[in-house]
Amino acid sequence: MTRWTRLHPTAPPERLAAVRILSGAYAVGYLAVRSPAILAVRDRDPAAFSGVGVLATLDRPVPDAAVVALLAVTLVAGVAFTVGAAFRVSGPAFAGCFLLVATYRSSWGQLLHFENLPALHLLVLGLAASADAWSLDARRRGRPAPSGHDHAAPLRLLCLMVVLAYVIAGLAKLRYGGLDWITGDALRHHLAYSATRLELLGEAPPPWAATAVANAWALPPLAAASVLVELGAPVALLGGRARDLWVGSAWLLHAGIAALMFVVFPYPLLLVAFAPFFELERLVPLLRSRRMRLGAAAP
Amino acid sequence: MDRLRTHRWAIATVMVAAAMVTPVVLDRDSFPLSTYPMYARARPAEVTLPAAVAVDGEGDVHRLSLELVGGNDDPLIVAAELRDAIAGGRADRTCAAVASRVEAAGDTVDGHRPVAIEVVTERYDTVDRVLDEADPVARRVHARCPIGDGR
Repeated sequence: MTRWTRLHPTAPPERLAAVRILSGAYAVGYLAVRSPAILAVRDRDPAAFSGVGVLATLDRPVPDAAVVALLAVTLVAGVAFTVGAAFRVSGPAFAGCFLLVATYRSSWGQLLHFENLPALHLLVLGLAASADAWSLDARRRGRPAPSGHDHAAPLRLLCLMVVLAYVIAGLAKLRYGGLDWITGDALRHHLAYSATRLELLGEAPPPWAATAVANAWALPPLAAASVLVELGAPVALLGGRARDLWVGSAWLLHAGIAALMFVVFPYPLLLVAFAPFFELERLVPLLRSRRMRLGAAAP
Repeated sequence: MDRLRTHRWAIATVMVAAAMVTPVVLDRDSFPLSTYPMYARARPAEVTLPAAVAVDGEGDVHRLSLELVGGNDDPLIVAAELRDAIAGGRADRTCAAVASRVEAAGDTVDGHRPVAIEVVTERYDTVDRVLDEADPVARRVHARCPIGDGR
């Protein structure tokens, strides 16, 4: 089953735990920052509600108190998820609650595609043995993780999800925009559209947008590079330098989008989306030895 | 036991991959399984955009902040709300909501005393707008609600 990737033939529990901590902390922070926007749906016209995804059968908004309660429970479960407390409950609970909160907000007319990958990642992390190390559960247990838990397969699945998401995004550009998306003015018009929309909504447009729109010749190569990065995502499954190169390229793509359009995909921009591709547990001894060196060098 | 667990994850991996590809096959975007269509379609330079603006006694238009327009700091959400309200025939209700936020925020917008809020769609050549601050080529008022002195 691991023939499709060279990543993580095996993995210690700490590797999966590191991804749990990063993704959990990201999701809790994201929800905390976005809570005003999430709670603002209580003031929306109920006619604007149309359930999507797991809430597709919901034909009217839930009571305001339920939205507040769900957000509160999600935040509490998220903290427990991140620190690995009662993970058999908090893992699936946080994954499910995050999915519900994000789906409910998306049911008000605007799908926020940057929430897809964290929601999917949390489902895998919440159902896997992600708290066998670096968790309150492990500390309480006081002995090694139970044998037989697979910590590599969930990591490979998380990586596959990232790769598929990017490939699908690349295919979408060719499917809906055609080759013209690369060779034509599509990117230029998207940049101009985003800047104008921001301006009409009382916000300052991205400072580099005008420069990019004025230099139309530079945009087809950028469009081609964007599609290449998205469709080239499977090379990350090779590991090693191919993975590093792709992750760096994908990050640059998001940084460029943020700079030119003020459209921020925080999960990849903060590198959390790419965490499953790496042997993160190796960072800990490295950081420890560096800290000891710094401590020894201090007067 | 190990073998069973390995197979469980193998099955899960195949199912997740199939689930993620399904929206592409069906060409149906949803959450969290998506076709990731954002910015994928070719877009003409000339587009119609929704907005909510304040109008002063001279008839001059003043842009409102995201918070005043949508009670929210996310432009994607606020723009979608306006678009859906206009398309759904609810522009008057949105106008009233914006008006109440503007009134609650104070007397003036950009130093001008507004007399009305308008929910509009404006058609722009966006390239000309970004490069030369071009005026809209068309403008349509979907709802107007008086506030302050205009009441």
